[in-house]
Amino acid sequence: MSLPGLDLTTPSGDKEFVPAPPTQISLSKGSEWRFEVAFGTIVRVKLLAGTAELFGTELAPSQTYTFSGTKAAIYTWHGCTLEVSAGESYSTVDSLAPGGSNGSTTTATTTGRGLGAGGCQSEYTAEETPMVEYANVHFALETMRQQAKAQGRDGPRVLILGPEDAGKTSLTKILTAYATKTGRQPIVVNLDPTEGMLSVPGTLTATAFRTMIDIEEGWGSSPMSGPSAVPVKLPLVYFYPMPNPLEAEGSVYKGIVSRLALSVMGRMAEDEDSRETGIIVDTPGILSQSKAGNVELIKHIVTEFAITTILVIGSERLYSTMMKNFDNKPTASASAVASDERISVVKLSKSGGCVDRDAAFMKAVRESQIRTYFFGNPIPSTASAALSLSAASTTNVTLSPHAQQLDFNSLAIYNYTVATLEEDEDEYDPAQFGTDSFLPGGGNEAELSQNYQHEESSATPVLPGLPGGSSSMSTAETANSASVPLKKLLPPAPTGLANSLLAITHAAPTASATDVRDASIMGFLYVADVNSERGKIQVLAPVGGRVPPRALVWGKKWPGEVVGLVG
Amino acid sequence: MSSGLASDEVAEDYKNSLEDLTTNDRFQISNLTVIAKENTEHAMAISRVLENHIRTTPPAQKLPALYVVDSIVKNVGTPYTLFLGRNMYQTFMNAYTLVDSQTRRKLDEMLKTWKEPVPGSLDTRPVFPPEITRSIESALIKARTAALQQQQARSQHEILTRGRNGTPLGWSNTQPPAQTMARYPPASSQTVPVHSQRNGAGHAYPPSGDTHVARATPTIQVQQRLEIDLSALNRDIEALIATARVDFANNHLDPSVQQRLKALLDLQGILQRHELTQEQLKLVRDQVSALAPKPVIPVPPAQTVPAVSTPPVAATPPTHTHSQPLQQLLNPGMLAGLIKATAARQQPTPPPQLAGILPQIPVMSNTPHPAVPAAPENPLIAALRAQGLLPPASAPPTASTVPPSNIASAFPLIVPGQVRYTPPIPTPQAQGITEGQLNVQLNTASIKIPRHTLIATLYEMRSNRCGTCGRRFFATEEGKERKARHLDWHFRTNQRMCDAAKRAQNRSWYVDERDWIKSREAGDDQDLAETEASGDTAGGHDSNVAKKGPSKPWIRAPNDAALRNTPCPICQEKFESTWSEEVQDWIWQDATKVGSRVYHASCYAEVTKEGPNPANRGAPLARTGTPDSVLGKRKAEGTNSPGQNVRIKTEPV
Repeated sequence: MSLPGLDLTTPSGDKEFVPAPPTQISLSKGSEWRFEVAFGTIVRVKLLAGTAELFGTELAPSQTYTFSGTKAAIYTWHGCTLEVSAGESYSTVDSLAPGGSNGSTTTATTTGRGLGAGGCQSEYTAEETPMVEYANVHFALETMRQQAKAQGRDGPRVLILGPEDAGKTSLTKILTAYATKTGRQPIVVNLDPTEGMLSVPGTLTATAFRTMIDIEEGWGSSPMSGPSAVPVKLPLVYFYPMPNPLEAEGSVYKGIVSRLALSVMGRMAEDEDSRETGIIVDTPGILSQSKAGNVELIKHIVTEFAITTILVIGSERLYSTMMKNFDNKPTASASAVASDERISVVKLSKSGGCVDRDAAFMKAVRESQIRTYFFGNPIPSTASAALSLSAASTTNVTLSPHAQQLDFNSLAIYNYTVATLEEDEDEYDPAQFGTDSFLPGGGNEAELSQNYQHEESSATPVLPGLPGGSSSMSTAETANSASVPLKKLLPPAPTGLANSLLAITHAAPTASATDVRDASIMGFLYVADVNSERGKIQVLAPVGGRVPPRALVWGKKWPGEVVGLVG
Repeated sequence: MSSGLASDEVAEDYKNSLEDLTTNDRFQISNLTVIAKENTEHAMAISRVLENHIRTTPPAQKLPALYVVDSIVKNVGTPYTLFLGRNMYQTFMNAYTLVDSQTRRKLDEMLKTWKEPVPGSLDTRPVFPPEITRSIESALIKARTAALQQQQARSQHEILTRGRNGTPLGWSNTQPPAQTMARYPPASSQTVPVHSQRNGAGHAYPPSGDTHVARATPTIQVQQRLEIDLSALNRDIEALIATARVDFANNHLDPSVQQRLKALLDLQGILQRHELTQEQLKLVRDQVSALAPKPVIPVPPAQTVPAVSTPPVAATPPTHTHSQPLQQLLNPGMLAGLIKATAARQQPTPPPQLAGILPQIPVMSNTPHPAVPAAPENPLIAALRAQGLLPPASAPPTASTVPPSNIASAFPLIVPGQVRYTPPIPTPQAQGITEGQLNVQLNTASIKIPRHTLIATLYEMRSNRCGTCGRRFFATEEGKERKARHLDWHFRTNQRMCDAAKRAQNRSWYVDERDWIKSREAGDDQDLAETEASGDTAGGHDSNVAKKGPSKPWIRAPNDAALRNTPCPICQEKFESTWSEEVQDWIWQDATKVGSRVYHASCYAEVTKEGPNPANRGAPLARTGTPDSVLGKRKAEGTNSPGQNVRIKTEPV
């Protein structure tokens, strides 16, 4: 869930801040405490009495939970007392997210530390929440799971739609948390490339959740070489290095979604627990805007995952569109005809606690996700020091990535050459690599280099068939269905590589463009520095040893440049 | 003097520690045992504290406290056995009467161990002297017999009431059950309500409808029944209050239970002040009887109420006129309110159909109660009405509500004067929900209805909570096992985290599609063997990396100089001797002896293509090892678990 006014902090301004004394907050039955914590400040929350849950995941009594850079809500079904206290501010984000560097930040002058309890930027108690609805959705799904099992069908496949900041991911978490609490094992699919789930932004993932969701750290953590206090989750990760699923008419996105769905169905077929529980699909808010192509994309997702239930949050218009298109239609599952399984569309209220997350906050979230991928949880948690033996509530694990130098020529780096819809707004893109026309899958070297040279020589890039509904492009695409807008980077190493991410796919370096696009990924490299003359790049790899000889995909547009991860 | 003072202090400290003991926490209990052991000179004070604590603590916390006693008498012994033994009968029985049936089973088990010598001890005497355990046991047996009798009586009721349940609401107009059909001429059975004698069980009851009688028909019998026996009513209310008190004790945080108790107490007060009119009394009685969980009769009711067996032929003429109001009374809203106010609260649901049985007492005792002049509407009555405890004022005084549902009364009531049998705490409804079918429709209207009983399946039903992460488990045996495994998992993880803090960690590579599809999520509450197995599959090749160290083949360097200089037959290189701290000897790393010859293990593997470390050849992958994520893995290291074979097979070669 998102809350507002989050802006980046300048931790230096906090140096003399005296932490507020712990505050006790009493919540009555069925109310929730909404709070926002800026990046760079820490708020600790302890459940003193009663029961409380954060997006469906129950808080343990008397454990201290640490929050930073988050906007969330703690709900109680039975009433509870929370103790909120301020943690020391920390400055690891300092270099990562320089406060106020983004001109759009309106409150750049204020510090991240707010005046709320425990130094929350904003915090209040709300009586009205849609939790009854959300819980009932869970019970309805549970009903469907029981029925499905009795009739030998798969568990319900749920698609969650809604505009940006409507609480889609929060609802996903709630449904997931309740399902795991009931002993189920849902497969949670994140199709939102703007925000990662158990991975960095720009990824589409699928994860089977059996254990608790991490209270403090979003969804939790993907596997590490060491142990983790909260069981790690094993995600299957695909890379979609663009924020908008509609890029290239959705062709890239659709391809990856299909592949992801295939894997999920494969897992469902073999994993009894997951089959009984079903799937929960979280989507990007942009999909719910009324744009041409969006409905088609939703249809694609509905078909690929054989969706049975569409939950629409906070948009009447989208709800009516969905009703028109899907309600009571048979599902795409193979057994749908036999069992007469039909899609149902349900409208849900948006929580009053949903707040717009501004661009600066989202940027900080993304950077924090990337940082966490390489370095672990940056929050210095005193809990871990104090309770070294029972440091269960802390996810504070420091990871040590390995820096190394790679020979650019030995790498097979691919880049999506899709002209962004917002091309003109994209301020940093001097190299203009992204404006190439489509290349045939696995196109031969000669042609590639020809193209490349062509582009190098011409000052004005050729922009054939820019999107926006250009018919020439769609015809070109249908003519060559295999065409994937992936192009191999050729030497010299573009300086634009610096400070961006490279995804290591599971595909061989010589694989075709389609294979590279469809391949799941094994991890990310962060390019710290590029030496074009010597053809060397300096990278940060999560795992030591030789970087696997696999095809790499450049996350040039997305998640884009992350400054200061190293050094 | 000084020792007395110290004793007080020790006792006070001990009392405080005991108060912190709210769950069955092994650690806390052993701690308390150690304290007791270190303070044997204050054994008397501590024993008294323990006894007091067990007496006063809420039922849910009695078991852990008794476990402390158990632990102390078994681990420490003598002075405590003596002191605690003195009052053990009272302590034990007091606790036993107040706890739920599951806890009782625990107590039974514990009691059984007290009859035996301490396991592993040389002393062959039982934990407690046999006199003590025997007296408790015989009391328990008596109590059980009584409960059994009750149960039999109840099952007979059920047989009897089953027929009635089948009859629709306005049953006095409808056909009586088939059973009675046979005994009465059809003509009368149309009109005469089942005033039958049922031979099957040997008891005869007036059927529910006519017992409460508020019918206008001027038969003498009916007239008598119209008189309400105030004392019987009072008795009923007292029983209800007792039940409510127990509920309140078990569930004192629940405002509705509290409210209910208060309402009942007020009602009692009003009755005793004789403020009610006959009409109101009837209402009250009917409602009370509807609320009553069970007749307050320790023996089969038929025996106490012999009068009923006299043939009541045609005692009640048909009363068509009342069927309408009756049905109005039974409007579902009120019923729901009633059930909500009473049943949903961890409280034995009043089996409504028993309403028909209960009023026998008033009927038969025949003490006429003078009609009290109509008092102004008491505010309490209004409150009761609002709560659904009384029907609306306008409702005519007819038979009490007879809900169609057949919620069997599985709960014997507290029987004063006997060893108490407390109703088990878990609500039958909630259990039905988890075990049975949920039925929540996914549509806009349905999802707006609050369903607190369902929320309870996420919280109260899983009352066994992990203190570290908040995970909940059922309070069943299986839940306990799971929790134990879960706690083991926490323990192992914490250990591993301490170890891991010393070395650098890193993010693992993500798995590929095939591994992901094959992987199974390892829970933190599974058997170790299970987690290992699933961990291995989930981990893919990574487990190799971890395994590589310990499983790397080596042999002791031969002493024979000639042998020592013999090169590897495959690569023709000599072996290198290294000193191994572990083995305390010179060893050859990466060497394997096949027959009489010694090879480099890697060379040998290369040649035979089935090396012990196949992933080494898949160079990058092996290095890149995926997650060490996985739980319980350390256990796998070095052990020759069966999982290893599996693992090797699943590895991509």
